[in-house]
Amino acid sequence: MVRLATRPLAVWPGLALLLAAVLDPSAVALAQDPSAGDRFFTEQIEPLLRSKCFSCHSHQAGETAGSLTLDSQSGWSVGGERGPAIVVHKPEESLLIEAVRYTHDDLQMPPEEKLSEQEIKLLVRWVTEGAPDPRPAVQPEPRGDPIDWWSLQPLQRPEVPGIQSASGETLSPIDAFIEQKLGEAGLSPVPRADRRKLIRRLFFDLHGLPPTPDEVAAFVNDPDPAADANLVDRLLQSPRYGERWARHWLDTVHFADSHGCEHDVLRPNAWRYRDYVIDSFNRDTPWPRFIREQLAADHFYPEETQLIAALGFIAAGPLELSRAGTAPVTFDYLDRDDMVTQTMAAFASTTANCARCHDHKFDPITQQDYYSLQAVFAGIGKGDVDFDADPMVARQRQRWSDLLASASRNDSAVLLAPEHAAMVQAWESKQGSQSAIWQTLVPSTFLSTNHSTLTRLDDHSILASGTRPDQDTYTFTAAVDLAKLSALRLDVLSDERLPMQGPGRQDNGNLHLTEFEALVFDPQADEPTPVKFRQAVADWDQEGWTISHALDGDVKTAWGIHPKVGQSHHAVFELEHPLELKASSRIVVVLKQLHGGGHLIGRFKLYATDGDHATATVVPESVAAALKLPQDQRSPEQRTAIAAHAVAMHAQQQLDALPMPATVYAASDRYSHANKLDQPQTPKVVHVLKRGNIDRPGEVALPGAMSVIPTIPGRFELQDVNDESERRAALADWLASRDNPLSWRSVVNRVWAYHFGRGLCETPNDLGRMGGEVSHPELLDHLAVWFRDDAKGSIKQLHRAILLSQAYQRDSSSLPHDQFTEHRSRDPQNRLLWRANRRPLDAESYRDTVLQLSGRIDWTMGGPGIQQFTLTKGPQATPELDYDAFDWDAPQAARRSIYRVVWRGIADPFMESLDFPDLGLLAPKRNMSISALQALAMFNNDFVLHHSQVLAERLQSEQESLDQQVAAACKLIYQREPEADELAMLQQYATKHGLAATCRILFNSNEFVFID
Amino acid sequence: MQQPRRQFLWNIGGGLGGLAAAQMLAGESMSAGADTRADFGGGLHHPAKVRRVIQLFMTGGASPMDTFDYKPELERLHGQKLGPAEKPEGFTAPPGAIMKSPFAFKQHGESGRWVSSVFPHQAQEVDEMAFLMAMVSKTNVHGPATYMMNSGFLLPGFPSLGAWISYGLGNLTEELPTFVVLPDAKGLPYNQKGPFSSGFLSAVHQGTVIRAGSDRPVRDLFANDRYGFATSQADRDGFELLGKLGANHAGNDPNDSRLDARIRSYELAARMQLSAPEAFDLSRETAATHQAYGVDNPVTQDFARRCMMARRLVERGTRFVQVWSGPQGATGNWDNHGSIPNELPPIAASVDQPIAALIRDLRSRGLFEDTLLIWTTEFGRTPFAQGGDGRDHNGGSFVTWLAGAGIKAGTSYGQSDDWGYQAAEGKSYCYDFHATVLHLLGIDHKRLTFRQNGIDRRLTDVHGHVIHEVLA
Repeated sequence: MVRLATRPLAVWPGLALLLAAVLDPSAVALAQDPSAGDRFFTEQIEPLLRSKCFSCHSHQAGETAGSLTLDSQSGWSVGGERGPAIVVHKPEESLLIEAVRYTHDDLQMPPEEKLSEQEIKLLVRWVTEGAPDPRPAVQPEPRGDPIDWWSLQPLQRPEVPGIQSASGETLSPIDAFIEQKLGEAGLSPVPRADRRKLIRRLFFDLHGLPPTPDEVAAFVNDPDPAADANLVDRLLQSPRYGERWARHWLDTVHFADSHGCEHDVLRPNAWRYRDYVIDSFNRDTPWPRFIREQLAADHFYPEETQLIAALGFIAAGPLELSRAGTAPVTFDYLDRDDMVTQTMAAFASTTANCARCHDHKFDPITQQDYYSLQAVFAGIGKGDVDFDADPMVARQRQRWSDLLASASRNDSAVLLAPEHAAMVQAWESKQGSQSAIWQTLVPSTFLSTNHSTLTRLDDHSILASGTRPDQDTYTFTAAVDLAKLSALRLDVLSDERLPMQGPGRQDNGNLHLTEFEALVFDPQADEPTPVKFRQAVADWDQEGWTISHALDGDVKTAWGIHPKVGQSHHAVFELEHPLELKASSRIVVVLKQLHGGGHLIGRFKLYATDGDHATATVVPESVAAALKLPQDQRSPEQRTAIAAHAVAMHAQQQLDALPMPATVYAASDRYSHANKLDQPQTPKVVHVLKRGNIDRPGEVALPGAMSVIPTIPGRFELQDVNDESERRAALADWLASRDNPLSWRSVVNRVWAYHFGRGLCETPNDLGRMGGEVSHPELLDHLAVWFRDDAKGSIKQLHRAILLSQAYQRDSSSLPHDQFTEHRSRDPQNRLLWRANRRPLDAESYRDTVLQLSGRIDWTMGGPGIQQFTLTKGPQATPELDYDAFDWDAPQAARRSIYRVVWRGIADPFMESLDFPDLGLLAPKRNMSISALQALAMFNNDFVLHHSQVLAERLQSEQESLDQQVAAACKLIYQREPEADELAMLQQYATKHGLAATCRILFNSNEFVFID
Repeated sequence: MQQPRRQFLWNIGGGLGGLAAAQMLAGESMSAGADTRADFGGGLHHPAKVRRVIQLFMTGGASPMDTFDYKPELERLHGQKLGPAEKPEGFTAPPGAIMKSPFAFKQHGESGRWVSSVFPHQAQEVDEMAFLMAMVSKTNVHGPATYMMNSGFLLPGFPSLGAWISYGLGNLTEELPTFVVLPDAKGLPYNQKGPFSSGFLSAVHQGTVIRAGSDRPVRDLFANDRYGFATSQADRDGFELLGKLGANHAGNDPNDSRLDARIRSYELAARMQLSAPEAFDLSRETAATHQAYGVDNPVTQDFARRCMMARRLVERGTRFVQVWSGPQGATGNWDNHGSIPNELPPIAASVDQPIAALIRDLRSRGLFEDTLLIWTTEFGRTPFAQGGDGRDHNGGSFVTWLAGAGIKAGTSYGQSDDWGYQAAEGKSYCYDFHATVLHLLGIDHKRLTFRQNGIDRRLTDVHGHVIHEVLA
């Protein structure tokens, strides 16, 4: 019981409150006439409890509902799972009263029928009077040790049984554990599968694809005793392996390419996480690192920027897109619930989500633990995150961005540092040699939206006069006589007719240019081309009103020139990419001036150029003045100003030359209601919600995980509570800790389950008390410790150990009949693994195999998902998908299934009929259904029929006679020579209905659909 | 061979014991408990009064106070600004002034039920119906509310009512799908196929979408014409050949029941190919029936067709048919934000006559002996105006009705407040509604479970009371 005392008291709210009640002297004092109170209880309250409550809440009832008993005083004072039933003298705080009043929807007692008002009043009076209860206190049964459960026990390496095989060889540890159990049950295993079965099984297991007839032949005839090991190694080295095993993980974490829910919109960048998972399995990333990468790659490996894609893990689940506008608080909690559920299920096979409304009913996870887990994700946004897929580029980007920042801060320590001297010198030496030839844009039309009077002057500039509206937009059109457009220039000109001589129309001579936009009209095109700008530079920026604001798309920011009024200024806008212009192209320039207060341009002129780096020709006034002085006469400020400009120009050029960043749908410490996560935020405060109800927030929850495991602290000590990634990193460390008893068992059991069709514990996402039984607990522990310590978290080594075991390599069919009967009666479910389990092909394996056999499969790896449907606009944001209209001859139609776009809420009906899961929730294992509708799908779906035809054409081109073609089809599809009678049946059918029809039948046959 | 599907699965599941059954049924027959029982009339836990169900779902949130929930108080307070000052969670706009219904209400039938002028046909059948007048939703948002009314949860991934029924009771015929969905010709409802998903249950239980009026109402029932080799003779010979090949293969292992189950699934597929076209062929109905449902009227045509098809399907043994009125989106459904007087009458008219005809048809054919008809929507609408004369979402109170087998016709349960804004008494959640439907089918909602991620999941989560007040 020592352990109990070290645990937080909050775990036992009942106990804590009981102590409080016992220690509260008023509880005794108020029962002034104990005998009267006792009589009241015995005469009125106890009969009521007996008739209405005892049937569920008494020791006699056997299984007590909610663990609450009311047949003793300690019963109600200790309470049940929800805590004490009564707070003496305080009916308003007593759960019992709340329950009988039907105050809350989730706690209404008695459930069948509400008590009468009279009865409720009695109970209220009883509680108000201190709940006198003369019944003898019954000692509450001690709750068992909360970690007295196999999966929570510290991992220890069990002793491997010293068992030899029948032929006297030493067994591998896996086989030793299995043989031991078989021996105890008096069962003997079936013989090893033949090599044809084995190679087929291994291929499907590791690649989700069949072997070719040549590969089968080579393996069957391989005399090398290490043939099995060689084959397994070869399969694990192939990139096909990662494509197969990534799918298992994507199911587990309910990854899809769209949001799901009402507005089921595509996530066009989600695929980078899918590619990350494929790559991780192929690289054999050690498991603890796999955990850390997916939860906090940004924290642990900031240099390896390509790993940002791993954070797609956190954002894998569904999203209600309307959340911000409809029910933000509700969806916030639900979204975090999804992250908690997924993380704890995927890595620790724990159902933490069961503790959302109350402490977990079966496993030692408190409600506080659950909300601590929510707090880990409280600073997370889900959306598009930019990253550099090449860390080298990331380092460059970082370097030049830092330098640009130094320039904008005029940080002389950096700017004047020796390493930048050459950069500055180079820029200065080019001054004067760089010039762009600016072609004046002669206005053909010019309009004011708000009735300013615009007049063209002789020099082709435009003067604004007349009424001065609050805001205005000038639209300016001109012919442009250049073959290429690389930049535009705007001169705002001073003029005596303007206030303070301009160049603005505001009383102080200022102006605010909110946005600078341009469109090019190609005379042949129907639509204008919007011009995209890379950057803008002005000769002068008002503080806080820099020219970049005219390109930021934000109507709240603008360019200004105050206080340098009364003089002309200019700004150059450089295109992202030079635009080729057709003859007679026209350009439209839109000058939005929406700041208000009459901050309008008074006089302006526009130019265009085809010269490169036009912005480089713009030199701010202060710099221009400094440049005129000999170097030794410049003040330190002037030297800094020149260096800042030179460095900024150079850094910007370098940044522009870098490749565009990649984007992944993932999580970051920013948020946005649009796609791109760009708004900084601090982690939200998460409350323990009473009954999981957002209207009943309780104490604040701090980041943490399960608090019950003695060796790893359940609440995280963070250096900075506002450092979002630190929270995730702490959870990753908790999960990846070598002392975490759950994680290691979880992963080895999961891998085992995919190889055997069933885990050593049947429920891969739940090793708790509600999970399945464990058939071989010592084996599971052996594997977990071996995987952690010997294999160093290598999944590929785990595969090897399992796949080379005798247990894996057994035949799948039953024994000769008499023996089988015995085995069946002793171990009907083959839990002891006396034979292999025959398994059906899953949806992807079926589909990929059909593609491979038809000869069409396209081995291209990675990249954006393939949309195997036609897409049209829907009534809302969700589009309409037509899977039947897809053309199976389309490019990329034959890519592997892992590269399909999986639309969460509108699944591919064919794949669904083959039990592709609903990815609204986690799918740790596939259902295996058999139905008439599935038969119809496999028999009549276009995919199968189309590829039956393609395979037939392939065979026809390879084989002479129909008989040979049929035999070849059989060999390809079954990976064996057909039997004579089989061949006869197939040939007869082929003669009557053709080869394509025959391939269709083979694609539907049991032997193809099951892996023996 | 006409044994119930569940019996069939049970037999093959029993073949090789646990593994086969567990894999094929994903462990489900085990947790569903006993097989349905003949002495319970096909019920699972107690005698069933209902064996088949038609659910009509009004997408978008049908306005209660403009249809079945008469609120004279709104006439008195019309135009007064009495609602919440702030925009409640889930409203799309701040609430406007109290708005009376623009439609006249009258009492109908012996039960004296108030019905507005938008439902003249259903008004004649109110004595068949039992009303739940104070249904509530946990959310005012279409997507989650639509999930909730169908699966009991706000989020995707949970099985819908039809899927649970398929899982619990199986089918009545092997020749038609167990759970059929007839979406509006204009499109799918909110959450797309989410409202009829089988969630974590096996795909066998999901709603089969039938495109009424299409050349190929059931996908993949027959091969596309472009595959010339897939002739009907090739199909028939093919099914036979599959049996023979299977026997060869299974010769190695006669005890793996899944092998046999797959072969049988093709036999059933062949039977479905024969029966389904007949079931979907509306031309077999008389001209009088077409006219009664309103198939000849462009206003009612689409819904009428689907109601008629629903009747043909339950008649032939489909267990659960869901008929949707309206697609997701801002128009053509019951989401009348813009204008109650302009938007509600057309959508109401499109379903009214077909529903009344369906009731009469079910009654006259004796199908009401064991068929339940339910009319549902995902939430109600505000008593406050939105914009000019529209109404916003309101999960506070809405109306559902039930008719047919096991129902105490002409009754009602629950009551909204004087404005129709919140449930006042007899508040019923989807949990209670679902518990009641399952109860009628002979299922105890607390005992129909499936273990998923550590929880024995139920359609009714941890809630639900059977609403005995509306049961006969």
